[in-house]
Amino acid sequence: MNRVLTLAAYNVRMLLSLRTWFVLAWALFGLQIAIYGSLMSKLVSTAVPNYLFYYAIGLMVITVFDSGAEVGRHFVEHAHEGELPYFLSLPVSRGGFLAAQAIYGVVNTMIKVLPPLIGVLWFVGDLTVQGAVFAMISMFLLGLGITGIMVSMSFIAFKSVDLYSAFLAGLSALIVRFSTVFYPLIFMPSFYSPISVFSPLTYGADLTRWVLGFDPNFLLNPILAAAVVTGVAVGTLSLSAKIVDKVIEGVKAA
Amino acid sequence: MFAVETLSLSKRYGKTDALRGLNFTVNEGEIMVILGPNGSGKTTLLMILCTILKPTSGTAKVVGIDVVEDGTKVREVMGIAFQEARGFWRHKPSSILRFHASMFDIDPAKRQDLIERTMKDLELWESRDKMFMHLSGGQAKRLETAKVLIQKPKLAIFDEPTSQVDLRGKRKIWDKIRELRDQGSTIIVATNEVREAEYLADRVTILHQGQRVVCDTIPKLKDAIAGGDIVEVDFEDPVSEKLVGSLNGLGGDVSLSPEGNQLRAKVSKAEDWVPKMTSASYVAGAKIASIRITEPSLDDVFLHFTGKALADQP
Repeated sequence: MNRVLTLAAYNVRMLLSLRTWFVLAWALFGLQIAIYGSLMSKLVSTAVPNYLFYYAIGLMVITVFDSGAEVGRHFVEHAHEGELPYFLSLPVSRGGFLAAQAIYGVVNTMIKVLPPLIGVLWFVGDLTVQGAVFAMISMFLLGLGITGIMVSMSFIAFKSVDLYSAFLAGLSALIVRFSTVFYPLIFMPSFYSPISVFSPLTYGADLTRWVLGFDPNFLLNPILAAAVVTGVAVGTLSLSAKIVDKVIEGVKAA
Repeated sequence: MFAVETLSLSKRYGKTDALRGLNFTVNEGEIMVILGPNGSGKTTLLMILCTILKPTSGTAKVVGIDVVEDGTKVREVMGIAFQEARGFWRHKPSSILRFHASMFDIDPAKRQDLIERTMKDLELWESRDKMFMHLSGGQAKRLETAKVLIQKPKLAIFDEPTSQVDLRGKRKIWDKIRELRDQGSTIIVATNEVREAEYLADRVTILHQGQRVVCDTIPKLKDAIAGGDIVEVDFEDPVSEKLVGSLNGLGGDVSLSPEGNQLRAKVSKAEDWVPKMTSASYVAGAKIASIRITEPSLDDVFLHFTGKALADQP
């Protein structure tokens, strides 16, 4: 366990050495909320009361998605830049290696999401420790699921990085756009609302909103949402553990 | 018990056989050099031993531990310096070594001293706070070697440890590898550099197209080939064909230069052949100006056992 934490800490230190990016991410989040979010809020305020809050949580969920995707990319980059063989030669089990990647992903997500979350809750006058903790747990579970999906898909990158990038872009477009991150399910047109139920972001976003006290009439059943988010996290991480063991066979050896 | 033992080890990438039924052993406490051209299967073998790749068939054990069944335990007792030194571009050599030391439970009280000493030995101390991306190819290779040196594993693997390293650096790395052996580690060095093999090897395994061609000490490998010694003789005047014929009758392979006054003979034992040659020359009235005796190189050994020159391989 100690070695897993040491490996995770090494990756996290690498992450923290790029702190400028975090500041930029927070600034971008603030700008997005201040300009686009507030304008949208005025446009739809009659249909969805407090849409700015709804939108802000949706934006945080997208950040969680991006963060999870980054862990997958991080794994692939390790492989293509030749660092993966080194990490795989260290005395940790393959499961431990994956756990270290997951811890890296969680820290990455926490750094990106926690300050905006606290800022938004403070701004709307709803900042409580309980609310922040449950919202983070919800987004953390979603982040694990996304990480599992991305790492599972990394086998594509061992065939072709270009194909992997194209696949991720397509997946991102589908999972984010066909979800409830920006629009409540009840307002979605019938020709695409059925697709939304296949996006894990739908459940992650609605669950986070529910724990923060958003009007449940605009949200999915929280028990269903919690079950799906947990199931996706457990399922995809188990799948990725199996796939990684196969994928590393693709590590270049002359 | 062998430090390393493989039995009918095979590895296939798609339609390409990288290893074909390899039987290979390394004794405890020796430096085993694996000599072979690029594509001979050296790196694949090392990758299997350090559990990064899985064999297609056959078994491989490191200090008695099966690499497939108990990979984590194998990784606890071995260290590898990879052929291509890679690292995160912003990391510094000192932090890379600190991380490596902590992963292998090096005593924290001794860690800093050990890292400092190793970096100084390998002339990396001045570059300890440079970013990895600013290291030269040779520095990055030395850093790769430093990881294994601070770890002092039971089995240390070096994959082409001195490619991209200047001559002075090569000597330093070779001496440190020998020192590691003297401290009790078993060592495998994969290389296609003959000089490196000659300097380091207790035994050499020649690998060719995924198979072990031969394995022995360097003197025995050289003695095993016909023409184990090379004798070059300069005569004051061109010699007769009759003398060349009689020298050929003494055993070995004798050839005459176009000028007719220089003779090159590949013989099994120069100490037996030279007195016979001088007698025959005296009888034939040929005056000898000089005699030079050299050993065949590992290049000659490789050529003898594989039918191909090491340098000509892809």
